[in-house]
Amino acid sequence: MRGLFRWSRKWWPGLVPLAVLWCLAAWDDTVPLEQELAAMATAALKSDVLDKTRLDVAGRDVTFFADAFSEEGRRSAVTSVESVPGVRLVNDNTRLVPEAKPYVWSAQRDVVRVTFSGATPLPAIKARLLDAARTALNGVEVVDQTSFARGAPPRFDAAVLLLIEQIARLKDGKITLSDKSVSLSGMARELGGREAIWAALRNLPEGYSVASNAIAAPPYVFQANKDPVAGTLTLSGYVPDNAVHTALHDAAERKFFSEKVTDNLKVSIGAPKHFADVVTRALGALSRLSTGSLEVADREVKLSGDALFDGAATQIRQGLAKDLPEGWTAKTEISVKPPAAPVDASVCQRLFSEVLSQSRIRFEPGSASISPDSAGLLDRLAEIALRCPAAGIEIIGQTDGDGDAAANQTLSEARAKAVADYLVKAGLPADRFKTSGQGSAVPVADNDTEEGKAQNRRIDFVVR
Amino acid sequence: MTLFLTFHWGWLLGALLLGLAMGWIAVVQHGEGLSKVAIQRIALLVVVLVAVAVSRVVPGRPGYWLDLGLVMFAAYLVGCAIGSALRDRFMARQMAAHAARSSGTET
Repeated sequence: MRGLFRWSRKWWPGLVPLAVLWCLAAWDDTVPLEQELAAMATAALKSDVLDKTRLDVAGRDVTFFADAFSEEGRRSAVTSVESVPGVRLVNDNTRLVPEAKPYVWSAQRDVVRVTFSGATPLPAIKARLLDAARTALNGVEVVDQTSFARGAPPRFDAAVLLLIEQIARLKDGKITLSDKSVSLSGMARELGGREAIWAALRNLPEGYSVASNAIAAPPYVFQANKDPVAGTLTLSGYVPDNAVHTALHDAAERKFFSEKVTDNLKVSIGAPKHFADVVTRALGALSRLSTGSLEVADREVKLSGDALFDGAATQIRQGLAKDLPEGWTAKTEISVKPPAAPVDASVCQRLFSEVLSQSRIRFEPGSASISPDSAGLLDRLAEIALRCPAAGIEIIGQTDGDGDAAANQTLSEARAKAVADYLVKAGLPADRFKTSGQGSAVPVADNDTEEGKAQNRRIDFVVR
Repeated sequence: MTLFLTFHWGWLLGALLLGLAMGWIAVVQHGEGLSKVAIQRIALLVVVLVAVAVSRVVPGRPGYWLDLGLVMFAAYLVGCAIGSALRDRFMARQMAAHAARSSGTET
């Protein structure tokens, strides 16, 4: 031992190369050591749920920044870093994520994207919500501007998942969840979307409620376009159900006797009240136009086009606006088609026969009141009558062979008179018309078949 | 310490070898070496440095360099001690052999 002390007095010259060695070691190893420690600390934190994690390593000391979601989680994360072998000191700069009160989450949808903002409770929940949004929105850009906050109400994720499904049903709008109350605004993407959203909101988790629902439905549109050049009537837009669809299609077939009906209607819920009645009436008005279009959007009826003559234009304008159900409005832009060139009596007769061969004037069963379905046909007949102003016209009523002959005679006369009255009301002078009835005396077809009977129930126009 | 051994074993080995060499030389080196007072002062300095390192007062990189320096110094001292002891034993064996050889010649 004494020797060791004696020798140690001579060990000092080695300190100089040792110092050089020390400097080299520090210069060479500091950065790799720090990187190694940072990697090990990051790995140690893998199972901890944290936000905004940052590890600054200087030498063997780690400055640890992170937002934890609970006090327990925060302490566990600090312990994880402290237990990394080689770490000398941990400067704990961790904190808890802030608590939000009220806890607000919202989703805003515009044409190209959906933006989430507000608060979410945990990274796993956030990821799940974003995944669900990408699936539900199928290709629409999803922008996440939410930040983490504590204090979410129970079953927050279930409620938000349901709301994400609803945002997919919107064209634009905003859904906000504030604590447990939901507010919605905007426009549904499709007809029926508003109703679907209402229905879905009933499945919100217990305790959650709808504070306000200002979702608007897109306009319920029905359109009809009469094109006399192509000889078509095109129906498009929506009808509430198949029964109304069939009824409107049949009404169109009856009212538009010389046009081919192209039916592009789709069935959808969300029709306003009295939709079928108003559309049937409006189709009647359209059938009286030479060319025109009809648009029914929600409770607004727009009819535009050319009437066949002045009197018809006035009747159509007044008739459509009159007696509309409450809440409905009508807008008409009716002009009058330029009058056709006058023709002589024989041409008039030919024109009457042509038109009456395409369709016949309909009456209510067993009565002399003219069916509204025949308004278009009568306008055509009136227009022809206007083209030969000098000619007198005899209107002859005919019936089928059913029933009592005397009753048929009376009915045929009354029906002929009703037609003449209609034409006089349309603005034609009363003295041009003579009416008579022939009962079932002059059949044009077999009275034994339904088809023959239908042909025999007719009004003949004879130009004198 | 495990980290120091695994991460810096090359440098520590270097310090140990340097110490071995220095210890080897020190046994036969002429002169008195450092005075007792100087040794005491150095020892005091080392104790202070060790105390500073153990109490983790120096932060960040300087703290790490201090630890590294002290561990390398310890390796150096161990090397010196082993080197001197080996040299001493080696010399004692040489001297014994020399003495045996000289007594053999005389007889």
